[in-house]
Amino acid sequence: MIEPLVFFWLLLKASLFSTGGTGNLPSLHADLLARGWARDQQFVEALAIGQISPGPSGLWVIALGYLTDGLRGAVLAAIAISLPPLLVLVVARLHRRVGAHPAMQGFMRGLGLAVSGNIFIVMVTLLLTTGVDGRSLLIVLASIGLSLSQRVPVPVLLGLAGVAGVVVP
Amino acid sequence: MADTTEPTPARIAERTAPPEAPGAWQAPSAWRLLQIWLMLGVQSFGGGTATLFLIRRAVVEQQRWLSDEEFTRDWSLCFIAPGINLLCMTVLVGHRVRGLRGAVIALTGLLLPSVTITIIMTARYRSLQRIDAVQAAVEGIIPATVGLGLMLAANMARPLLAAARREGRASLSISVVLLAASIVVAALWRPPVALVLCCAGACGALAMWWRATRRSGQP
Repeated sequence: MIEPLVFFWLLLKASLFSTGGTGNLPSLHADLLARGWARDQQFVEALAIGQISPGPSGLWVIALGYLTDGLRGAVLAAIAISLPPLLVLVVARLHRRVGAHPAMQGFMRGLGLAVSGNIFIVMVTLLLTTGVDGRSLLIVLASIGLSLSQRVPVPVLLGLAGVAGVVVP
Repeated sequence: MADTTEPTPARIAERTAPPEAPGAWQAPSAWRLLQIWLMLGVQSFGGGTATLFLIRRAVVEQQRWLSDEEFTRDWSLCFIAPGINLLCMTVLVGHRVRGLRGAVIALTGLLLPSVTITIIMTARYRSLQRIDAVQAAVEGIIPATVGLGLMLAANMARPLLAAARREGRASLSISVVLLAASIVVAALWRPPVALVLCCAGACGALAMWWRATRRSGQP
């Protein structure tokens, strides 16, 4: 049973302590799975919807809120991802004072590297728990190749993958 | 949120008003602001990059709320602020025009259409979820999403590693070790994510600081 206040706090916390639309993924994945409030499959579905739907792909959290807790979850998620960006005003002021300090730059670099490493782990976990076989590995490689070529827009790429899911046995 | 160094609308007017109408610039009304951002929100199909392009065209070229350089500087700030970069940018631009109220209006305008559509799409997906063909399609889409996620991780790490490489072998080694350590620690022990991130940030800060002090010691 999802407790709305705790759910909201987990969403807010994940966005507060991360940057970018998917920086909150590792933290949310750990917290929601630990409480049994979300499944791996729902994370992948939400990420895919976030890629297809309008607006920044960071709106995947709203799809996740809906899939796990219905309309209430979606609304809580919308509020939770709207608040942290307001802090950019504080960051802008802080940056004018200490932004050039090497320790500050080093902190941002270390943070970015760790987020990248954690996203890597989450992706591998998602693949392992939703089932790996020859076809899924092939699609993983194909989507990496297509996105490297930068010729295929992401919604089209996901559409092709969907067709492959239906057509390829 | 009084901030003396932030450009006031009057100062923006001095700089960006078209030459044929000096001093005629006025901060747009709250309603007009909401309209402009709602329009941007409605057009935000095509994800973050396309939307940023639209925002730039609207606020730099059409409305002339800020200059090209200011836009670029604001955008780079968004990478170190919490939350979705595009929303941070929306807050910064909104704030320049009408203070905190402007920021909230801009955020609301940009998000209202896209959030509504995302909810409708998710609801639609959930009602169709049990159909066999939909399930088969999802089974194809899952690994594709994972592929994109792996690319995302690589794209996040690449500029950081490139910057470290420019500083020399020691910096690069530290960065590679930090990246590898965060992967190994997360895979083996599953500690709280925030803890890993903070530790990595602290290590990075110490390394850079140490490097800077050593350099200034022997110029």
